[in-house]
Amino acid sequence: MKRTVLIPLAVAMIASVAAPLRAERLKVVTTYPYIASIVEQIAKDTVRVDALARGDYDPHTIVPKPSFIAKLRKAHLLIINGAQLEIGWLPPLLKQANNASVNPGTRGFLDLSGHVTLIDVPKSVSRAQGDVHPDGNPHYYIDPHVIPRLARAICTKLSEVDSRNAAMYKKNYDEFAARWKAKRASWDAKLRRLKAAKVIQYHKNMDYLLIRYGLVRMGTVEPLPGIPPTSKHIAELEKIFESNTIRFILQDVYNADDSSRHLSKKFGVKMVKVPHDVGAVREAEGIFSLFDEMVRRLTQ
Amino acid sequence: MKRFTVILLVFIFSVAIPSLRGQDGPDAPKEPAQKELRDDSPADLPNYDDDDATLEPRNESKDPGNGSPDEPENYDDEERGAARTAPKRDAQSMKEGTTSSPFSQSQFVPDISFVLDASYNHRDRDNEIYKTQLRPGFIQSMSGEAEHEHVAPNAVMRGFNFNYAELTLYSVVDPYFDLFAAIELTTAKVLIEEAYFCTTSLPFGFQLKTGKFLSSFGRINEQHAHNWDFYDAPLVYEAFFGGDLNEVGVRATWVAPLDFYLMIGAEALQGANAASFGATGFADHNETMRVRDSDDPNLGVGYIKTSFDNGDLTVYMGASGAYGRSRINHGVDQAGVAGTAIAAHSHVLGADLTLKYQFDSKRYLALQTEYLYRFMDGAYYAKNETDIVEEYALVKRQSGLYAQLVGKFAMRWRAGIRYDLLAVNDIKLDGIKESLPESLPRYSAMVDFNATEFSRFRLQYNYDHSMYVPRDGSFASRPNHEVVLQVNITIGAHGAHAF
Repeated sequence: MKRTVLIPLAVAMIASVAAPLRAERLKVVTTYPYIASIVEQIAKDTVRVDALARGDYDPHTIVPKPSFIAKLRKAHLLIINGAQLEIGWLPPLLKQANNASVNPGTRGFLDLSGHVTLIDVPKSVSRAQGDVHPDGNPHYYIDPHVIPRLARAICTKLSEVDSRNAAMYKKNYDEFAARWKAKRASWDAKLRRLKAAKVIQYHKNMDYLLIRYGLVRMGTVEPLPGIPPTSKHIAELEKIFESNTIRFILQDVYNADDSSRHLSKKFGVKMVKVPHDVGAVREAEGIFSLFDEMVRRLTQ
Repeated sequence: MKRFTVILLVFIFSVAIPSLRGQDGPDAPKEPAQKELRDDSPADLPNYDDDDATLEPRNESKDPGNGSPDEPENYDDEERGAARTAPKRDAQSMKEGTTSSPFSQSQFVPDISFVLDASYNHRDRDNEIYKTQLRPGFIQSMSGEAEHEHVAPNAVMRGFNFNYAELTLYSVVDPYFDLFAAIELTTAKVLIEEAYFCTTSLPFGFQLKTGKFLSSFGRINEQHAHNWDFYDAPLVYEAFFGGDLNEVGVRATWVAPLDFYLMIGAEALQGANAASFGATGFADHNETMRVRDSDDPNLGVGYIKTSFDNGDLTVYMGASGAYGRSRINHGVDQAGVAGTAIAAHSHVLGADLTLKYQFDSKRYLALQTEYLYRFMDGAYYAKNETDIVEEYALVKRQSGLYAQLVGKFAMRWRAGIRYDLLAVNDIKLDGIKESLPESLPRYSAMVDFNATEFSRFRLQYNYDHSMYVPRDGSFASRPNHEVVLQVNITIGAHGAHAF
C-alpha cells in the first residue's frame, strides 16, 4: 500500500527536478491580461504567457484560486502591475507556489510600476480615506503614452531572462513601438477633442487617461475608494451635476452601475462603460483593441 | 513563556512607535483627511514620447532588474516640463536622507496587524446548565462519569464575550527565510497561536516550515478563526482536535509542476493536542498504575491536495491523515476524583471537498464539506468506587462531518448555512460496546456584513442538537438555541485572502 503511493511520488519528484534540464518554452505569468497582451507582442510564440486575473473582474479583489498557484509554480518570469494593486490577492498565492525564481527581488520578477511615475501619492495614509494606495494611483497603464515604456521594460526583462532570444525581442519591440506610435496618433487626435470636458468616474481608475488628454475630473460616484455609493454622497454629486455641464459618467464593468445609471437618467448625461483591461468587454481582445475600444466608446 | 511574550511586545512597540513617528516626522504637515470630490487642477503626467525611439544600447546595458526605473533621464527632455514633480520629490527625499539618522531601522519593521474579535451571545439555557452539557464519547467524557471542568466551546457564556485579540507579525528574514507570528491575547493570557519560519528559496517546489503552526490537515484547520465563514469551528474539529490541530514541529510541502494544482505535504509534530493525542504519561495518585511518556515527536501528519478549474467553477479536494500516540489524562492522577485516562494509538483521517462558483467579480457560491474519521486503539483507565484504577481494552471508532454553503450575494454581504454531524460513536471497552448516542447534529445559519475588508459584523443562529446531560447512568438530549452577534475588526497590514 505504502509502496504503491511512494513510487509514483518519487518518480514525479525526480521528473520535476529533471524537467528544467530539458529545453522548454519560457513560461511567463502576468497578473493582469493587459500585461500578457504586451508580452505576446514582444515575445510572439517564443514564450508561453498566462494571465492570472480575468480582465472583466475588479483588479483590486481578484478571487484567488489554487490554479493560480499551479501557474506560478512553473513560471520562469512573473510580471505584475505593482503599486499595491495585487496586494489583496497575490502574496499568499506566491507564497504557496514554492517557486523561488519568481519571488520579488529575484531575476524572474518584474514590477512594472517601478518604470513609471505614479500620481496621487498620498502625503498621509489612513484607511479612513477608504482603500488607499500608499504608492499612488495604480491604474497607470490606462494611458496610451505609457504602454511603450511598459513594453520596453518587458523587453529588457525578457532579454535578461532569456538572452538567447534578445535580438528577436528587440526586433519585436521596435515593430510594436512603431505600430503603437502610428495607432496612438489617431487616438491622440480623437481624444484631444475631449479636452476640458468634465467627467465623473465611478472609481479613480481612468485618471491617467483623463489627465493626459486634459479632461476635468469632477468627482467619483463612490464616496471613497472601495466604498459603495451612499445617498448622501449621491446628493452631493447631484449638486455638481446641477451647476456643471458633465460630459460623461465613466463606469467600470465590474461595479454595480445603479448609481451611475440613476445620475445618467436624471441629468441626461451619457454613462460610458469603459473597459479597464483586456477582456473587460468582448471587443477588447488585446492591448491595441483595448485602447481602440476605449477611444471608440469615449468618442462615439 | 509569558514573560518572553511581554518582552516581545515591549520590544515590538519600542521599535514600531519611534519608527512611525520618524516616518511622518514631527515637522511633517498634518493634513486633514480631505475628501477630494472635485479635482480640476490636472496633475502633470510624464512625457514618455522619447520611449518611441528604438531600443538603444543604453537600455540594454544596466537594468538591475529590480523594478527600479531604468533611466530617470528619460523624464528630462520633454516639451512642457512635465517631470517637475518627480525631481522635486527626489530632492526632498535627499534632504530627508541627510537629516535622518543614518542608523534608522524603520524600514525593517515587520508587517503588523491587530485583530479584535468580540461577540454578544444568547442561548436559551442558563450558563450553569450549559456548563454541565457534553457530547458523550466526543467531548469531555468517555462514559459519563468524568465531570471535570469544561473547556471551550462550552466556555462561551451568555452576554458579551471578548473572544480574542490577535497580533500578527510578518517579515522576510533574509534571502532564505520569512517569519510569521500570530500572538493571541485574551483578557487572561497571552498565547503564541503561531510562530514559524519558512524557507523562501528552496528549489524544485519544496518548502520547509518550522515552529509552532496550525497543521495543514484538512481544509479548515489551517485557517485562523477570523477567516472562518462561521463564528465557531465545525463540531468535528471541536470533537477531534479541541478546535484545531496546532502543534510545534516541522512541515515540508511540495507543489507539483503540473497544469493543475497538486500539493503534497508531511508534518512531524510534537503531538500535544489534548483531544486526540498527547505525549505526557500519567500515573494514579498511589502509583499502582503508570503509563510512560510516548516517544517524541509523537504525531505525524500527511496530506495531498489538488484543485482544478472548470470555467467559473473551482474544485478543490484534499485527503489527510494523522497518526500519533495518545496520552489523555482526565484527572486519573488525583485522589478522590472519578478520573479517567486513555493511552492509545490514534489515527485521524480526513477528506475534504470545496466547490466554488464565481458568478462575477463580486459574487460567488461555495460548497465546502469535510469528513473526519478517528480510530483509537489502546487502554482506557477509570477509577471505581474505591478510588482504584481499572484498566479496559479500548477501541474507539468515531466520525463526523460538516457541510456548508456560503454565498456572497453582494459586494458587502454574505450568507451561509452549515450542517454539522458527529456521526459514528462506537466505543468498545473490553469488547463491549458502550451505550452512547449516535448522530449528534448541529444546524447553523449566518449572515455577515463586511463594511470593508477590515470590519465585519456577523449574525449567526445555531440549533445545537449535539448536547446531552448525564441522567440515570445514561444521557438525555438537551438541544440549545444560540444566537451570536459577532464583530471582527482588523487594523494594520493588509491580510490577503487565501482560497
